[in-house]
Amino acid sequence: MEVIEQKIAERFDLYGCFQCGKCTGGCPVSLKSKLNIRRLMIEGILEKITENINEKKEIWDCTTCKTCTIRCPRGLKPMDLIIGIRSLLVEEGHIPKTIIEAMENAYKHGNPWGKPKGKRTEWLRLMPEGIRIKDFSQGDSAQYLYFIGCTASSDPRVQQVLKSLVICLQNLGIDFGILGSAELCCGNEIRRMGEKGLFEELMEANLKSFETYRIEHIFTACPHGFNTLKNEYPEGKFEILHTTQIIAKCIEEGKISLKKEFKKTLVYHDPCFLGKQNNIFDEPRLILDAIPGVILKEFDRSRQRSLCCEGGGGRMWVEASSEGQRLAEIRVKDAIELGVDIIVTACPFCLLTLEDAVKTTGNEEKICVMDLSELLAEVIQ
Amino acid sequence: MNIIVCVKRVPETSEADIFIDRSEKDIDKSGLTFDLNEWDSYAIEEAISLKEKLGGTVTVISMGGEESNETLRKCLAMGADEAIRLNDPSFEGSDGYATAKVLAEAIRKIPYDLIITGAQAEDDSYGQVGVTLAELLKIPHAALVNRLEIKGKIVRVHRELEGGLEEVLEIDLPAVLTIQTGINEPRYVSIMGIRKVAKKEIKVLGRSDLNLKPEDVGILGSNIRLEKVFLPPSGEGATILEGKPEEVALRFLEILREKGGVS
Repeated sequence: MEVIEQKIAERFDLYGCFQCGKCTGGCPVSLKSKLNIRRLMIEGILEKITENINEKKEIWDCTTCKTCTIRCPRGLKPMDLIIGIRSLLVEEGHIPKTIIEAMENAYKHGNPWGKPKGKRTEWLRLMPEGIRIKDFSQGDSAQYLYFIGCTASSDPRVQQVLKSLVICLQNLGIDFGILGSAELCCGNEIRRMGEKGLFEELMEANLKSFETYRIEHIFTACPHGFNTLKNEYPEGKFEILHTTQIIAKCIEEGKISLKKEFKKTLVYHDPCFLGKQNNIFDEPRLILDAIPGVILKEFDRSRQRSLCCEGGGGRMWVEASSEGQRLAEIRVKDAIELGVDIIVTACPFCLLTLEDAVKTTGNEEKICVMDLSELLAEVIQ
Repeated sequence: MNIIVCVKRVPETSEADIFIDRSEKDIDKSGLTFDLNEWDSYAIEEAISLKEKLGGTVTVISMGGEESNETLRKCLAMGADEAIRLNDPSFEGSDGYATAKVLAEAIRKIPYDLIITGAQAEDDSYGQVGVTLAELLKIPHAALVNRLEIKGKIVRVHRELEGGLEEVLEIDLPAVLTIQTGINEPRYVSIMGIRKVAKKEIKVLGRSDLNLKPEDVGILGSNIRLEKVFLPPSGEGATILEGKPEEVALRFLEILREKGGVS
């Protein structure tokens, strides 16, 4: 045990921690969860972290929003320690059943949601008449690869966003193709749940497809996929953009002018993986500002301080370890207080968790949640 | 304590589209993913938990072709010590009885205190192999075990009956137990875990290594002959409601009211 513990403090570079508490202070789940990242840092240094490690159910509460790491004044990476602890638990195998299912699904089907490979492109039949989507795996070529992502491929609500996005991209004249059934999970959530080996296998397989089809430019609508493709896949092999970046650029360059009005009051919710983790704050707002009739409000907790929706870090597959108000419900209540009609976001995880929160708080008549592309699709034609 | 676990590699069919193959005696497995039989994952987890508590070895055995190596390696990665695969062209078409004969011959060669199998397989769901194995080895058995406790030379088991009832038995070891789902929570096996056992040897035995004649195994050695596999005929009396969820919900409510399901 001693040898492993020493490696933890060294491996995760914990010695610089002076216990200021900025990490726990910024952690969005710390108020309701036993998870105390500051304490875990000192336990790591004191070689106590593997004591009762199996009982630390709160380790699965972390959404990997990265606020702790962003705030650390000594440049340390507390989030990586949590992921490291999860890796130890994953190797032992005694992890929550639903997390096991998500990982096994990702291994067997290339999709943590469990949709078989052969059904990954079922969403194509939802596309409007006359639109044909290019498929690299079927021999087409295009300027960009649109990396669809597992959630958009599997979830019926997010498939609607796919449809809107395709309409927007067509109207903007973006030349893109998909990987079709060859596309596998990007691995972002898998890595954050602690299964590094599986992440590497998924990444290798995707990289092989990129190479086979000579893909150099990729964009995706999912900030989780965007995050890992940008920061964790090898550098220099391809360029990666988020859809809001492409769309914002088209608007800036005057490639499209939006005439149709959309007279609603909106608030934009910054997804953690797009905003605070990758500094994309302005592009979504630029797009929304360009739509005539839109009144755009701001949350008090906006941009870097955006309140995590609790969807990331494997939380889509595991329930919180303790009771306490869901962050998404707090967000919905804040939006209602702001007096907006619609919460707009640019992430499938945020979309699903916020929409669920609208339902669980009984506010379906008062407010709705839309993806940015759904709004744009309504005015772009 | 030396434990033997019998496992099977089966196709995953819950989310897949199923088609009958050309022979009409099987489903088309070409597009399917395969994995360790769900009941067997509870069995192997139970064996490994026992080993962790009481010491000893766990040997995992499977009758199957090279593809079954993947399944056996998963069991090794979970904590099994040895893996044996039984393969021979003559084994093709074996029913539960023939399969049990093959397993029995392989098992006779190894010392054991306890044999654990899954209660049934996900594909053919016969539930016969474990029980037949016990008879062939002339040892006691219990099927559908959802709790077990080793007490020296005896195992105390709970068997799942209908209606939430349980039967409690004490059985002399060695014995065969067939395991029901829910007895434990099977641990996860990581990619790194599987890589660690990638080089471990899997012993392969054919018919000539076992004390079996051609008429003992395969179709010749089976008591059940599979005639045909077919999809159930589509019946009448089912209406699919289409449209937006709000429309469907209202129509559904109308139907419930019409048919007296709701006042």
